[in-house]
Amino acid sequence: MPTVTFLPSFRKTEIAKGSTILEAAQKAGFHMNVVCGGQGKCGKCSVMVRSGDVEFDREKYGGFFSDEEAVQGACLSCQTRVMGDIRVLIPEGSLVQEQQILIDIDTPGVPLELNPAVWKYALALSPPTLDDQSPDLTRLLWGIEKSGGPKEGSIYAPLEVIREIPRVLRESGWKITATVALVPGGFRLIHVEKGDTTAHRYGAAVDLGTTTVVVYIRSLIDGSIVGIGSNYNRQISCGEDILSRVNYAKRGGLGKLQALAVESINAALTTASNSAGIDREDIYEVVVAGNTIMTHILMGIDPAYMIEEPYVPVVRRYLTTAAQRVGLAVGKNSGLFIFPAVSDFIGGDIIADILASGMAETNDISLLIDIGTNFEVVLGNRDWMFACAGAAGPALEGGEVLFGMRANPGAIEQVQLDLQTLKPSYRTIRNQRPKGLCGSGLIDLLAELLRACVIDRTGRINTAIPHERIRQGRQVPEFVVAWKEETGIGKDIVITENDIKALIMSKASVLAACQTLMNQAGIGREEIAQIYFSGAFGNYISKDHAITIGLIPEIPVERVITIGNGAIAGANIALLNRRKKRVIDEIARKIAYIELNADPTFMDEYTGSCFLPHTDLSLFPGVEKMLDQCRIVRELP
Amino acid sequence: MGLSTLSEWTGRIGELVIGASHAEGGTRSHVVRIGGERDLPYIGTHPSGHKPLVAYELADDPSLWPAAATRYIGDWVHDTADWAAYAEKEYTPDLIRLHLTSTRHRGFSDTSRIGTTIESVLQATRLPLIVEGSDDPAMDSAVYQKIGEAAEGERILLGTAEAGRYRSVAAAAMAYGHSVIAQSPIDINLAKQLNILLRETGLPSDRIAIDPYTGALGYGFEYSYSVMERIRYSALKGDTDLAMPMISSATDSLTVKEVREAQGSEAEKTAVAWELYSMLPATIAGASIVCVRHPLSIAGLKSAIDSLWNGENVEGV
Repeated sequence: MPTVTFLPSFRKTEIAKGSTILEAAQKAGFHMNVVCGGQGKCGKCSVMVRSGDVEFDREKYGGFFSDEEAVQGACLSCQTRVMGDIRVLIPEGSLVQEQQILIDIDTPGVPLELNPAVWKYALALSPPTLDDQSPDLTRLLWGIEKSGGPKEGSIYAPLEVIREIPRVLRESGWKITATVALVPGGFRLIHVEKGDTTAHRYGAAVDLGTTTVVVYIRSLIDGSIVGIGSNYNRQISCGEDILSRVNYAKRGGLGKLQALAVESINAALTTASNSAGIDREDIYEVVVAGNTIMTHILMGIDPAYMIEEPYVPVVRRYLTTAAQRVGLAVGKNSGLFIFPAVSDFIGGDIIADILASGMAETNDISLLIDIGTNFEVVLGNRDWMFACAGAAGPALEGGEVLFGMRANPGAIEQVQLDLQTLKPSYRTIRNQRPKGLCGSGLIDLLAELLRACVIDRTGRINTAIPHERIRQGRQVPEFVVAWKEETGIGKDIVITENDIKALIMSKASVLAACQTLMNQAGIGREEIAQIYFSGAFGNYISKDHAITIGLIPEIPVERVITIGNGAIAGANIALLNRRKKRVIDEIARKIAYIELNADPTFMDEYTGSCFLPHTDLSLFPGVEKMLDQCRIVRELP
Repeated sequence: MGLSTLSEWTGRIGELVIGASHAEGGTRSHVVRIGGERDLPYIGTHPSGHKPLVAYELADDPSLWPAAATRYIGDWVHDTADWAAYAEKEYTPDLIRLHLTSTRHRGFSDTSRIGTTIESVLQATRLPLIVEGSDDPAMDSAVYQKIGEAAEGERILLGTAEAGRYRSVAAAAMAYGHSVIAQSPIDINLAKQLNILLRETGLPSDRIAIDPYTGALGYGFEYSYSVMERIRYSALKGDTDLAMPMISSATDSLTVKEVREAQGSEAEKTAVAWELYSMLPATIAGASIVCVRHPLSIAGLKSAIDSLWNGENVEGV
């Protein structure tokens, strides 16, 4: 078998002749950037073949590389076959990089109440005698009842626990701690151990995202956070977006994806429990919120049929099972609670968002927006709820934008333009030299270019403005955000007219979805009490600018609230307060899912929204006033 | 008690003036006004606004013009000014719409000839003028500048602004006192967007005519009709960004398969019928100016519009 040596680390791996470099890299433990899932479409997994024999169709994929890069042996690792011993350089940009993972939670509408579903009872039982021959289990359950726990007859004891009881009781000298959980079937004795361990009662809340996994460990005694862990969803090596995962599952990869999901959660659990100095065995409940596909995969349910017409998920209610049955490394017999999904697109993560925002428990009408490559919008209150989902395209996350990038170090995340000189001032993540623009930076830039009248409302650059930063690019006009000398990539960072159009199309789909739901409900923007932004994207963007470009309806900016990672926040709420599980099920049943593709007004709303901020300017009175003032400033000099 | 078809609309369509008389500094024998409607077309004993007008379209380079149109005119087509004068005298359209098709040849650069053409046409006809410039953004600036300059003082209607290229047209219109045709591809939102963009260049909204783009009968006309209706409803409901008069030209009417393939005496009849049946309904959807390329369409269309306007049965259509 040929040996592949990876530079600069000189890590080696052997792989069958004809395998791809990507497969070799994954085997060697590299987390490659594979946005398209290895279809040769994204160009993100490029590597430089330094020596050795490979097969690569340079004609077909040459467009990804400059002549200079081609000379240095640039190939797409997913499309290059290893034909002999080779040496390959993996550029830093081709590896999944450290990213801002959003672990903050903020639950503005929901006070965190503590009503956990797990109890511990420290018992000192009297040993049996010839006069008192009641069985071990009865003795134990009576002890629980006497300590204020559930009635003896109402607790179910599974076989695995019964097997342990006689030994533990006797070895401990009849001083034990019993753990009881409330599960859908009623009370369940889940653990019996020696001595008094009542001080160790923990639960874990998990956000299983397509890209990242976040874990919170909380004390179920006082609700405090004892540890936090996060890392990449290791499924990324099987494809970056959700569809490529489903396709991977279809090709017989469901088992591997399931294992990787569990591995990712376990790794985060380990980080969190190590930092807290606790034993993972003392985690007695795990609550997981994730999108529909992720939770289905975690449970080992085939997601393939959900992405085909008529898009039906397998279950629309919460799922519970023993955490160990799916492979989670927590206490034996600990319960696993999985947030319900409404449809293929409205998953448990959105239900968790709704729970975290508190919008389902008030009469006020709120709009909740979760933006990623796909977006979800929910409108409603305690009585009714509409939801829809759609594709926003990758532009808002920096994809399909010439100098777009993820929120990695060096990404421009904030931009301001001087209205008179058009000089940008920007801030990058970690204050590194700029390498590109991430979503929040792109939204800032779009709003600022509009304010400065560099672009018109359709996003076209006014090339009649004589300014060194406004120039004709290779194909379309562009605006220079950072000159070569100031960047970390050795070339000018620009935004092109095509980038701007892609951004406008992305923002239009979000706004059109909001408008469509509002029209369906007969709700005007004045009736919306709050707009909740959930997710990493919503957390970092400027609310003002989101309104200026018409990404969201105009309401007073102080009523636009970011809830951070709503999925993990919702999971935390459900972990600490078992009564919320009923609310969760009600939310899942209450939501009416609106299929945008089947709504005849959506296209009209979309075309109307492909304008900054919207064709109907009366929907954005504040923005209009602001833009009028900017126009005066621009014409002054 | 009869059934009233009148509605209580709150909006009113703006009025647009084309042409300038001697008194106004131009050389036109009369000026035309379009728009001003407070209601749907042809409704009531005294319809609101101005009667729809018929424009006759011709081209400075007849090689890029439909054969069905040039065949009937004959040799007049070789001199644009003669063509315009002849058409005015023989067929009495309300306006002349001159397409500068010569600019569509690859490598065109002779803008001075455009100036000469426009001046000669202005001399040959006393009718108000609509002029269509280039369709290449690269030469827009030079071409529209020249048209605007050559027709200064004549208050022409200048075409065509589109969302991707409107600055040159608007700049020429503003510099030389003309109005602009704003064309969008059969979509109410896009029509409104372009009007906003034009307004933001500083062009007053009473100098914009909406061209919602018209497909020929059987080739998408029903979409155009529906969009024109929606534009008009929105305007009458008070949307000032859509409250401009509309101009409609079923550009493809004379090149549709049925017209191209008609033989002998049928050829003329089919061409005229196709224009007539595309353009008369356009006025019902709200168009203020309808444009035709076959000279025989003018009389039929004018008489049909007169009949509808006066509340009579339409004869001969």
